[in-house]
Amino acid sequence: MKILVCLKQIPDMESKFRINEEGIWYDEANLAWRINEYDEYAVEQAVQVKEQLGGAEVVALSLGPARVKEAIKKALAMGCDRGVHINDEEGWRRDPFEIASLIAGYAKEEGFDLVFTGMQSQDRGSAQVGVLLAGMLGLPAMTTVVDFALEDGAVRVKRELEGGMKACVKCNLPAVVTCQLGLNTPRYPTLPNIMKAKRKEMQTIEAADLAAAGSRLVTDRLAFPEKKGGGLVLEGEAADLAGKLATILRDKIKVL
Amino acid sequence: MEATREIYWNVGHGVLVPMYLLALAALGVMAYGFARRLKVYRLGRPLVRTDNLSARIAAALRSSIMQTRVLRVRAPGGVHSLFFWSFLMLFAGTVLVFVQADIAAPLFDKRFLSGNFYRYFSLVLDLAGLLALVMLGALFVRRYLMRPGGLESDRDDAIMHGLLFAIVLSGFIIEGLRMAATELPAGSALANWSPVGLTVAKLFSAASEPSLRMWHAVAWWGHLTLTLGFIVAIPFTKLRHLFAVPANYLLADRGPKGCLSTLDLEDESVESFGAAALGDLSWKDIFDTDACIECKRCQDRCPAHRTEKPLSPMRLVDDLHRVAFADPQQGLAEAAGKDALWSCTTCRACQEICPASVEHVGKIVEMRRNLVLMEGEFPGEEVTAAIDNVEVNGNPLGMAFAARGDWARELGVKTLDEDPDVDVLYFVGCYASFDKRNIRVAKSLIEICRHAGVRIGILGQEEKCCGEPVRKMGNEYLYQMSAAGNIETIKAYGIERVVTSCPHCFNTLNKDYRDLGFDAEVEHYTAFLDRLLREGRLKLKPESFSATYHDSCYLGRYNDLYEAPRNLLGAAGASLREMDASGAESFCCGAGGGRILAEEKLGRRISKERARMAGETGADTLVSNCPFCLTMFEDGVKGASLEEGLSTVDLSEIIASRLTN
Repeated sequence: MKILVCLKQIPDMESKFRINEEGIWYDEANLAWRINEYDEYAVEQAVQVKEQLGGAEVVALSLGPARVKEAIKKALAMGCDRGVHINDEEGWRRDPFEIASLIAGYAKEEGFDLVFTGMQSQDRGSAQVGVLLAGMLGLPAMTTVVDFALEDGAVRVKRELEGGMKACVKCNLPAVVTCQLGLNTPRYPTLPNIMKAKRKEMQTIEAADLAAAGSRLVTDRLAFPEKKGGGLVLEGEAADLAGKLATILRDKIKVL
Repeated sequence: MEATREIYWNVGHGVLVPMYLLALAALGVMAYGFARRLKVYRLGRPLVRTDNLSARIAAALRSSIMQTRVLRVRAPGGVHSLFFWSFLMLFAGTVLVFVQADIAAPLFDKRFLSGNFYRYFSLVLDLAGLLALVMLGALFVRRYLMRPGGLESDRDDAIMHGLLFAIVLSGFIIEGLRMAATELPAGSALANWSPVGLTVAKLFSAASEPSLRMWHAVAWWGHLTLTLGFIVAIPFTKLRHLFAVPANYLLADRGPKGCLSTLDLEDESVESFGAAALGDLSWKDIFDTDACIECKRCQDRCPAHRTEKPLSPMRLVDDLHRVAFADPQQGLAEAAGKDALWSCTTCRACQEICPASVEHVGKIVEMRRNLVLMEGEFPGEEVTAAIDNVEVNGNPLGMAFAARGDWARELGVKTLDEDPDVDVLYFVGCYASFDKRNIRVAKSLIEICRHAGVRIGILGQEEKCCGEPVRKMGNEYLYQMSAAGNIETIKAYGIERVVTSCPHCFNTLNKDYRDLGFDAEVEHYTAFLDRLLREGRLKLKPESFSATYHDSCYLGRYNDLYEAPRNLLGAAGASLREMDASGAESFCCGAGGGRILAEEKLGRRISKERARMAGETGADTLVSNCPFCLTMFEDGVKGASLEEGLSTVDLSEIIASRLTN
């Protein structure tokens, strides 16, 4: 079996973000990078499938500048077999459709039986690449998966729905799965596996050599949320509170 | 008539051949017993512990003969020491008898056991025997009648007590029977030089000489048999501590105190890291388990054990002993229990008090290393997350690495990047950089240094976690990565002197980093400020207040810094009320050993226990010197409902508030 895991390297969410000069994305200076949380579930699930089958080839793919190789290395340390780096200095400019088309450009010739992606990225959060990729490869897609089982060549998953509901879905291979929080606990790579990962194959493909579809979306402007006034907690006896509240509504908010 | 006695009286020189043959046989069995144990020690990895041999021998002799480590716990240690010294006298007496009877007299016709020397010899040995009996009685009462909590007795203890008691007692009976048959009827004044023997002799005075002679022979052979039994029992019972403990003094770690072994992670031939099985421990680790006499001193002081967590350093050593000598195939973590391994705060209280110089902490870290590096296991998800944060952001709190120097902005503190011309680099550490409460500690230190005219700089966002908590948790790989980054940065600025506010950073930079090529001088701020105070550069106006001082593990037990902080407190006007557990006996706050990253899910909270001890002193202020301790006590004091009367501060905050204008 051949498995593809797509992962994105994203800034740690506690980082000090600044908006870049063009005003359409964040400035990359002074950021700490890590694997997108949902993609870690994808990596873990792919490695678990490999362990279940007692063998499979798991390819970890990431698109972006040279720094994303660190994310691929971590996936290799977690148990993926080889890495594919789609080198793209300006990857952050691309919309989900373009990115999916680049990945599809690589994946269509490889004949993957299973494709795992995160449900969404923590930075862009469009949640589109996985499903668009499935469409481009002509595969069925199961999204927001929180439970995964592979039995007799078919996949059974639980999908998280609104209101605590779950949908049980069955699907034949090949298929695309997008992973949600709760699916698994990503493993901590062992030292021998970290060392082995350094010697695993890492293929670099120039994004320019893959046929990218044109972009459909244009980011117009990026901004921090406007600061709103803080909440106010009134304390005291009910009668006083009613008076205070009335004063605020009348004088400050002017609704009375 | 000359004052002496006939050696081999009654039994005759005919006993010589059978006696020495039996003695040789007993020694042979003893040697065989130790040879078998030696094979087990050899299952361990190699380790050099025989460098500086003359210094090692001197230290071993001093600790053994003076009983210095045993005497650290006064009452039972004192009883043991008195027994030891009296036993040593009796042994020396026996050797003198042997030298005269079987060497000096037959070969050189020399007899020194006579005259006044013999009188004092008799008296000293007689009193030594009495002392030995009394001390054995006291030890017996303690072990079997009073039985302090945690003290467990097994077959070995019964054998030791029985044998030693019977040997000393039968010695007196032989003496009494001989005196009843010889000195007593002759009315010899010599009898008075053996008061205990005389008392025993009087008990037998009614018996006839033939029956005294008959019983004497029986007692003599009985005493000999017991003594031979004692020799044989040494390797097979805890009596082996007679050799194992002095040997362990000889083989002790000669420091620097508390250094862990630095793993070679580049060596590609190494397939396993840390200790999973017996053979992954060093031979000294296995020998340690054989030297343990289960006195439970470690257990009494273990913060984890005292708060009902599943760790007892004594049990852990015993578990490893069982693996080594009974079940060598068993996994170490399984034998010791993973919860026990994760409960350790590496506070070193066990190791510091151990009368047998057993080294506990290194073993625990080795087993943790295996769990982390080979299995990817941590004590909880919160620890995995904290470790991941160190990896990504260089701090376990998960804050942006780029914000590390933000606390210092408003004070105008320069980073070395802005101005590398400083007297001292302040290595701030993660908690003083990011934790609100501890930022006040960092700011105080800056204020003090400015007052004393010390030009101080920080690394700002170039500083990373020193790696201590992750190292103690077992993640040697991440520690070495973190350390390498810091060392490279500090070296590049040509820094010669570093001050830390965290004892964990201090110990790590000052000791652990040495293996990785770090050579700048490192001080904890307490030692640094104490020096400034003594040099007259730091001037304080004392204001009196009552305080109790908590010795952090990594300043106290790990670095023996007990005086400097107390000096500073005195200069600030503190009247100190010491807790019972202070100095080398201090009780950990619960955050060491990487436990600062973990939730305390088992047993009672250690910090609350410590806060309670501080509350008992009646002091108004609990002064600490460590960001981890301060963090724990902020919680612990509230947990113990003491926040009304007990405030928790860092020593630097006190000093900053006492600066002269």
